[in-house]
Amino acid sequence: MKEEFLLGNGAIALGLLEAGCQIMTSYPGTPSSEILPEVTRFAKAENLNTSIEWSVNEKVAFDNAFAAAISGKRAACCMKMVGLNVAADSFMSAAYIGNIGGLVIISCDDPGPHSSQTEQDSRMMARLGKVPVLDPGNPEEAREMIKTAFELSEEFQVPVLVRPAIRICHARQNIRYESLKSNLTKADFKKEPTRWASTPKFRFLQHKALNEKHIKISEKFNSLTPYNTHNLEKGKTYDLGVVAGGVPAFVIQDLFAEYEREDIPILKLGAPYPFPEKFADEFMDKCAKVIVVEETDTVIEYMLRDKSKTLGRLTGHVPMEGELVPEKIEAVLNKAMTDCSIEPLSADAMAQEAFGLVQTLELPIRKPTLCPGCPHRASFYSIRKAMPKAIYPSDIGCYTLGSNLGVVDTVLDMGAGITMASGFWNAYIQDDVKKPIVATMGDSTFFHSGTTALINAVYNDSRFVLVILDNYITAMTGMQPAITQDKRVDGRKGNAIELETIVKGCGVKYLKVVDPFDTKAMIKIVKDAAEYAYSDDGSIAVIIARHPCVIGFRDQAIPEKIPVKVTDDCNECGFCHTSFECPALYEDKENEKTEINHTLCVECGVCIDIRPQGAIVRA
Amino acid sequence: MKTVNYVLSGLGGQGILFMTKIFATTALNKGYNILGAETHGMAQRGGSVVSHLRIGDTKSSLIRAGAADFLISMDESEAYRYLPYLKKGGKLFANAPGDAFPDKQIAGYLDRMEIEPRAMEASRTAMELGSPKSTNLAMIAFYSAFGMGPLSADDLRATVDTNSPGPFKEKNLKIFDTCYEVGRKMV
Repeated sequence: MKEEFLLGNGAIALGLLEAGCQIMTSYPGTPSSEILPEVTRFAKAENLNTSIEWSVNEKVAFDNAFAAAISGKRAACCMKMVGLNVAADSFMSAAYIGNIGGLVIISCDDPGPHSSQTEQDSRMMARLGKVPVLDPGNPEEAREMIKTAFELSEEFQVPVLVRPAIRICHARQNIRYESLKSNLTKADFKKEPTRWASTPKFRFLQHKALNEKHIKISEKFNSLTPYNTHNLEKGKTYDLGVVAGGVPAFVIQDLFAEYEREDIPILKLGAPYPFPEKFADEFMDKCAKVIVVEETDTVIEYMLRDKSKTLGRLTGHVPMEGELVPEKIEAVLNKAMTDCSIEPLSADAMAQEAFGLVQTLELPIRKPTLCPGCPHRASFYSIRKAMPKAIYPSDIGCYTLGSNLGVVDTVLDMGAGITMASGFWNAYIQDDVKKPIVATMGDSTFFHSGTTALINAVYNDSRFVLVILDNYITAMTGMQPAITQDKRVDGRKGNAIELETIVKGCGVKYLKVVDPFDTKAMIKIVKDAAEYAYSDDGSIAVIIARHPCVIGFRDQAIPEKIPVKVTDDCNECGFCHTSFECPALYEDKENEKTEINHTLCVECGVCIDIRPQGAIVRA
Repeated sequence: MKTVNYVLSGLGGQGILFMTKIFATTALNKGYNILGAETHGMAQRGGSVVSHLRIGDTKSSLIRAGAADFLISMDESEAYRYLPYLKKGGKLFANAPGDAFPDKQIAGYLDRMEIEPRAMEASRTAMELGSPKSTNLAMIAFYSAFGMGPLSADDLRATVDTNSPGPFKEKNLKIFDTCYEVGRKMV
């Protein structure tokens, strides 16, 4: 028996391997990113033959796992919830077709949001795709649910979605486990075109079969303990009951234990869809009212259907947005209890007073910023210097933080740095305006969904400058390897993809590569690229700003240390710490002087070139 | 045992995950169950980091505002930011100059909440001992000196000992012992 204080994503990884998952694919995205590395770690430590792949995007990851599953193997595919949007087409179709070996999709939600562009609820996607969903409440339960998910998936030949929220992924819990064994099931794809390549006529039949599966799964979910449970006492009725799923269900159980309250029953729905109708009705019958507490949307609340009894988001009892942290849940319960003439858990005034007090202290605002020495900062500086009046469409990654430098105007979703650049061009050129546009996109994002965007823009003769920020790595999500490097996640060799070849292959005629640390050279190239892009016989101009991530490749990123100092020529314009926004430069409030924080400074030396009065020099 | 709730806070780069690991490993060695919550991703780039740690048989990882037994902060501002998490009668430990801590604006609140504040200049001490990045260890040792909660100073010191790689062991234990003594003088 071993024991570890595992990250929730590690517990999920453990669950996958304990269930005999043979093929595991993923694209990184907070809060899901650590699942695949943890699978890799366990597989290595336990000497398993698990096949592990960082795919270039979530749809690719999904299809890879699906093919394995219809060959009879157990396969899993992990992503963050917005990644499921990318894989949605496959996800919906796969539900109709079904699978042979278990297929488990793990889509990690980010109520808050802490690190995402939306707070979407993956259970809604499950509902839309008619895919059964499990909603764990803590790491240990997530680990167990993965096994149940595989069993369900094989029993009913349907993909199963597991939806851990961020408080599971990035929680830690002590987890005990036994040695792991490889699953040696062999691939055995049996041709059956009416199923695997079905035409609309057969799709209708598959839809019918899926609906019939749902009736059976709902039946199963009526008694799927311990995920679906309630604590009604026989023959008793209640003025108020709680219906909860996922993380909030355990928060509420803890709250009731802490306040020693046993007068309010809880219906915990860890397997909410297909909805366990009978089980829920049994609970509703005994309660005059129920308060529904679920993250992040209104899945259970709608499925309960009894408007006269149900309190929740639709009645204003539960916030419509934001994470349901314990103090919020406590306030929700207090209100519902008061409304039902039940003594609330607490007066909950003290914490509110404290939050108010903290507001008045004017604590330092610590907004996310690019790291000291980050090559993106240098790129953004040069772009703004070369084309100060441009529109700057950008994308998802560390470089989204270029917004702090005023060089990121739009962030829609992965790939939109390029598609929105062509969209802006089209909108302006209709009015005969050649609008200057500089799009930025990271290397990983470019491979994820930039290539189709670029091909489209080239073909349709849109004109803009695209800067691909190539730092050799997927940095924001925790340093996953980029496909331009030949080392795969499990140490095996990959056939590295050359970015230049792909860009040229998209039909781009103007391509230059520059090291962004050389800001003078980059400013010149951006100007030159713009001249080409907007000339009559020009086209899209692409610049690869190539410099390794300062965190992922410390030695390569700073090949020569250039220590710097601030001279007396400094006139305290504040440019270097407010506009250039290097965290290693700051204004010493006492002396009102710009200083260098030597603990943070990585001695990249880029600030020497950007300093307006030439007041930062080599020390 | 009733669940004991620790909120640890600080700035990115101060080693809050290592600090969490020391507490968690110590608790594990004592046979307790633990649940915690961490900061990752974009949120982590922000500079303010917090870690929740719950020792005991709990099912959820987040500590409710007003329910923490201990708030241990490696930065003064980050101590104030997470103050609402401390319960009435909770204990506050901060890396701050003792004579100027706590800020006058919160003294009344601390009084009413019966929260005892304690501070030491942990970063300065770590720096003086040649390990500017060991504010985390300094704060663990300082906290341990008061003998509060389920983890004793000896237990925590033993975890620091086994989790410090060879070349750092002596330095880390020296920081621990020095800061423990600073705390002992205040008991």
